[in-house]
This record gives sequence, C-alpha cells and structure tokens, in this order.
Amino acid sequence: MTMTEIISHPLTKLVLGLVLILVFVGVNGLILVWMERKVVGFIQRRPGPYEVGPHGILQSLVDGVKLIAKQLVTPRGADRFLFWLAPMLSVTPVVICFLPIPFSPGLTAMDVNLGLLLILAFSGINVLALCAAGWGSNNKYALIGAARAVSQSVAYEIPLLLSVLCIAFQTGSLSLSAVAEGQSRGLLSWNLWVQPLAFVIFFISATAETNRAPFDLPEAESELTAGFHTEYSGMGFGLFFLAEYTYMIVVCSVATALFLGAHDGPFLPGPWWFVLKVYALILALMWFRWTFPRVRFDQLLNLCWKWLIPLGLANLLATALVLKLGE
Amino acid sequence: MDFLAYPAYGLYLLLILAGGLGAVLAQSLVRALMGLILTLFGVAGMYLLMSAPFLAFMQILIYVGAVSVLIFFAIMLTRPSDGGEAGQEGSRGLGRIVLGVIAGLAPVAILAWAVVKKSPTDLPLKPEASLASLGQYLTGPYALAFELISVALLAAMAGAVLLGFERRRPR
Repeated sequence: MTMTEIISHPLTKLVLGLVLILVFVGVNGLILVWMERKVVGFIQRRPGPYEVGPHGILQSLVDGVKLIAKQLVTPRGADRFLFWLAPMLSVTPVVICFLPIPFSPGLTAMDVNLGLLLILAFSGINVLALCAAGWGSNNKYALIGAARAVSQSVAYEIPLLLSVLCIAFQTGSLSLSAVAEGQSRGLLSWNLWVQPLAFVIFFISATAETNRAPFDLPEAESELTAGFHTEYSGMGFGLFFLAEYTYMIVVCSVATALFLGAHDGPFLPGPWWFVLKVYALILALMWFRWTFPRVRFDQLLNLCWKWLIPLGLANLLATALVLKLGE
Repeated sequence: MDFLAYPAYGLYLLLILAGGLGAVLAQSLVRALMGLILTLFGVAGMYLLMSAPFLAFMQILIYVGAVSVLIFFAIMLTRPSDGGEAGQEGSRGLGRIVLGVIAGLAPVAILAWAVVKKSPTDLPLKPEASLASLGQYLTGPYALAFELISVALLAAMAGAVLLGFERRRPR
C-alpha cells in the first residue's frame, strides 16, 4: 500500500476520527464545567470562579488535576467489579455516539446509514451504567438513585423516539448526514419550522434523558446526598461527570442536526455554525437548570405519560398523514 | 475492509462465549445479568457481520438498553438486601452436571450435524437490505407473523396485569 492509499483508507479515517473525538470530549468537558459555573454565577448575581487564570478559565483544569490525584476508595461490602465497571461503561459509549454526527458535509468520522439509530442505541447504555453504579455501591441512596434513573430513562425514551421518528418519516432516512443535507438551503429549510412540536418534545425528553435539572432526580442532592454516585471518589466521580457533560453535547448535536439546520448558515464555514448552534442549545440547558426548581417524581412521570407521549403520537400520526396525502 | 471480517468474527464469538459462561457461572444475579448483556453485544456484532446493521442497533437499543434494564429493575425490587444467590446448595450434584452438559451440547450437536450435512461452499457478504424493503416484507408477506407476535405480547401484558391484581387482593 502506498502512503496515499493508507491515508485515504476508511479505517485510517475512523481511527483519526476517534482520536479527535476523544480530544473534543475532554476539552469540552473542561469548557462546559467552567461555562456552567459562570452561567450559574451570573444568574445568581455573583462572578463565579474568578481566581485561577483570567476570569477563572483555568479553574476546571485545576479541578480535573485534583480529581485525578485523589485516592480511589471502594466502599466496604461493595461489588468491586460492578462498582468500577460502571464509570467506564458510562463514558465509553459516548465516544461511539459522536461517530455519525455531521459537523459539516466532509467532517463526519463515519457516515453510517443508520446514524440516528446508532446514537439512540449507544446512548441507552448509560442507564445501565447508572444501575451498575447504584447496585455495586452497596448504599441505599445510590440504589434509590439508580431506581429513579431507570424509571425516568425508560419513560422518556418513548417521546424521544417518537419525535425523532417524525423527522425520519419526513426525510425518509435515518442518516444524520442526509437529514442535515435536506436543511442546507437557508433558514427556511430548517426542520424546526415544519416540526416545532417535535423539537419541543425532543428537547424536553433529552433534558430528562441526560438527567439534567429540573429532571435530575437520580442525583437529587437535597434528598439522596448525590444519588447513584454517592460513593465514588476521585476519577470514578470524574468519569460520571464527564459522561453527563458529553451526553449534553451529544443530544444538543443531534437536536442541531435534526431541527436547526446542522451546518447551515451564512458567512462562517459549516463546522463553526454547527458548534455555535450546539453551544447555544447547551446554554439553554444550563439556563433551564438554574431557572426551574426540581420537579417531584410524580410530576416527572405525569409530564411524560400524560403529555409528551400522547402529543408525540398525535404528531407522528399527523406527519404520516400529511406525507401520505402529499404523495 | 473484508480482511477485518475474520478477527471481528473471532472477537464476537469470544464475547458471546465469555458472556454465556459468565451468566452461567456467576454467583450473584446482577453479575449474571452482566454476562447476558455481554452476550447480547456479541450477537449484535454478529448481525453487523451479516450486513444487518438495523437489527444490530435494534438489538442494542431494545435488549441492552431496555430489556436488561428492566431485568435489573426486577432484581433490585425482589432482592434488595443480598446479591441474589442463585439456587440452593444441594442442587450441585454430579448427575446434574452431566445432565447440564448433555443439555448444553445437544443443540450444538444438532447444529454441527446440519452444517456438516449441508455446508455452504462459500459465504459471500450479502449486500445490506434497505430499511424500506424490510418494512415492506413486515407489512406484506410476513404481516401475519408480525401481528401474531403483537398478540403474544398483548397476552403477556394482560397476564402481567392480571397477576399484579391477584397479588394485591388480601387473602
């Protein structure tokens, strides 16, 4: 094989993509933690982290070093295997979720035909990690947190799938690149205008699936200490944290690709627009977190089963009907 | 990337076997469940090799993401204190082991016999079936089987509800 053949080989592209994704995930974790602390600071009328670096920008890097240097403690009576499997199981699938995300027409790690399905499938593994963490910790708070995580994620996966299906029906494809391609003709071609209800349902369900406030019941600190990660120290906790922030990027990227025209936008090149939109959505998620109080568990499930699922079903039926009539 | 097919096949085979052994030999129910999940991943990989990525992703989405989690939930709700010890101590006699080995080997023997009798000369990688044709088959020639599966699921659900109400009644 010549050099150019090796470089243009799909396997090389995949490996390069994975490495870049790992870098992206790590750097984004640092930036998002800093961003969240700044946003909450400004919302609560205080400056947030300020001491380390200009405007505290190095704070999360220092925090990361602290987490890595900390001792890893396994609680007595815990299932060692499950206890340490859980944080790894939480982070690993996220990397795969980035593979089909279309940052721009040429900038996709692996253009999978069923990209949307791949992301949905691998992001579902996270709840398994939470279960293993809750069970392996041998701690009642952790177990209650895990039980909550299960019922929440099983419930909210349904409206999430229903809203995604609407877009899949409309585009006739499960490939994120194809969906993004269909919205690349200016602001009015974005799916947001055709499927506003699906976007709202998707965004609410995604907030719940990533365990973000106001739906952060699995780790509600005022009732459960820290929920499923009560017993984790050092990087055990750090990996869960990283996974949570990375899932935020994944759901916001999917929302951008499905509804907000992906890489479409004037002046700037495509990837910048994509990242800009993703960060705008993440800002909205943070805004939610510090604006709404945490919901009660019955409110959480009622919202899903009585509102989001019926609305999602109706929306799906309407989409199918319109598509059939338009044929 | 055909040259990757053989190592991938070996890896998935290893995953399936390791998961199965883990599920059978584990002392705690939750660890056995982890073995089952490993096996499910291996089977999903096999679907990928048979160029059926839709089935593979559905396997992960439904079996790993939903069914295993529900099994986890069931274990948590039924045995909250201990790790769920499997079986009684007396059930590990020699006779049972022999019977177990026979029961495990019988399907393998039948499959091996079938493969030896009618071995395919060549196994070409088939082209990927499109989602649309899959849907047409499910609503066309296989519609009856498809509907029968939903009836079976409905019966299971109704049965579960019935059992739930039975237990709640005071005796």
